[in-house]
Amino acid sequence: MELFTPDFGLIFWMFVAFAILFFILWKKGWPAIMTMIDKRADLIDKGVEYAQQAKEQLDSARADADKIIAEARHRQADILREADHMKDQIVEQARDEARKAAQKEMESARLAIAQERKEAEKQFRDQVSEFALDIASKVTRKSLSADQAQAKLVDSLLDELETKN
Amino acid sequence: MKRITIIFTLFVALIAFNARVAEAAVVTSEATGESAKEADDEGDFNPKEIIFEHLGDRYGWEVPFNHHKSIPLPVIVFASDGLHVFSSAKLEHGHVYTHKGAQFMLSDKGKVVEILPDGTLKRPFDISITKNVCALFITLIVVLLCVLPLAKWYKEKGYKAARGFRGMMEALYEFIYVSLVKSTLKENARRFAPYLLTVFMFIFIMNLMGLIVVFPGGANLTGNIAVTLVLALITFFVTNLNGTKHYWKEIFWPDVPLWLKFPIPIMPVIEIFGALTKPAALTVRLFANMMGGHIIVISLTLIIFIFAKMGVAAMSGATVVSMIFSIFMLLIDVLVSFIQAYVFTMLSTIFISFAVEKGHDEHQKHAEAAKTVPAVPLTTHTGNK
Repeated sequence: MELFTPDFGLIFWMFVAFAILFFILWKKGWPAIMTMIDKRADLIDKGVEYAQQAKEQLDSARADADKIIAEARHRQADILREADHMKDQIVEQARDEARKAAQKEMESARLAIAQERKEAEKQFRDQVSEFALDIASKVTRKSLSADQAQAKLVDSLLDELETKN
Repeated sequence: MKRITIIFTLFVALIAFNARVAEAAVVTSEATGESAKEADDEGDFNPKEIIFEHLGDRYGWEVPFNHHKSIPLPVIVFASDGLHVFSSAKLEHGHVYTHKGAQFMLSDKGKVVEILPDGTLKRPFDISITKNVCALFITLIVVLLCVLPLAKWYKEKGYKAARGFRGMMEALYEFIYVSLVKSTLKENARRFAPYLLTVFMFIFIMNLMGLIVVFPGGANLTGNIAVTLVLALITFFVTNLNGTKHYWKEIFWPDVPLWLKFPIPIMPVIEIFGALTKPAALTVRLFANMMGGHIIVISLTLIIFIFAKMGVAAMSGATVVSMIFSIFMLLIDVLVSFIQAYVFTMLSTIFISFAVEKGHDEHQKHAEAAKTVPAVPLTTHTGNK
């Protein structure tokens, strides 16, 4: 049975055919295909990696942006609150100052009035004492105006009178 | 729609195949009838003969529906007086052909023999382009047509993905290259992948061409032991010529108790046998699987003729059954074609990976070297003490 006993001719041609095929494919066929399969696998790996990185970067960038926005909002609120506060303060201060000024004015007015009054009282008293002394000297016909003791007496009398009033 | 077309094509092909076998059956019965001097008279139809005639090689390529004509192929023989090249048509139907003073004829085994002047027959040194050799070169061209367009595409278009037929072939190469060769051979993959991919494609296309019943196919190549033997021998040489020190040490001085290898080298003998049986196993596995598939399909077809003697009803029934089973078997053979090509490639890959393995010793050395690097200051420290 020739199937089981290898025929030399066929072995020879099989070897030749395989050698030719292998040589051609080894030179022209497989290297390009293998290189491209390897390269493409690398490219896909890199692409996936790159996409992941890009996504991470995007996520972090978004988080950063969110943080910055939140901070800005916070600061804005702070500034607004501060401004409000400052306004209140300014108004308060102004009001305070106005009050103080008014008080001062009143005080000085009151002082002036008291002064006037004292002076008037003093004048009035002097006059009254003069009148009294005049009256007394007329009564006693004796000039007492120069006498210090008399004047003091009259003064004390007048004090008495004043307290009685 | 495409599926229906494929099934229809298969069906038509099968009918053609059956017709051919039928004719072969008739003709052989006629032939045996003519040469009725032999024991098997009455023109009995002999399934075994038909099967082996179809599986065997011959000097011409038969054409469908006509058993008397065949496509002539060149006969190349080195006879006792030198080289002779002539057409196989000259030898058909038992003719004796005289070429440049030497006489040739076909022996009863169907081989070219030289008739020496004293009347004895001598088998010359024969490297004829037989049907199988012709089919080999057709396969070669088909494989080139499968591979080169894709390589060209990649050279021209770079990363652009191949489409259509090229894309389909690329998926196949990627399957073999990435998931078989690369995952087994690792860093050696690129060195051996061209060989392994070539072997795979060659066997795969040969298997498929063997399933096509008319002209460009129909030769039982991978079911012929010469073809598988050459492939297995190439794998054997690739394996052993690339064997590392570790591989040879495992064969001649394996890690076993001393009495197993000296003074009687039991283990080395076993290991050498192992190395030699690997190609034998490769040869027989592919050959037997493919030949088995062919025998089953032809036998199923021959059922028709075996039942034909029992009347028309039996023959019609047998025809339907045999058709269904034949189609089923042919479809399985398509699967087997791929599986056997894959198995041959896989086993070759594994054998090569055994041969190029660095071995545990060297791996350990590397590991130890890696370990000692940080350990160096420690040892000097203790040395100082």
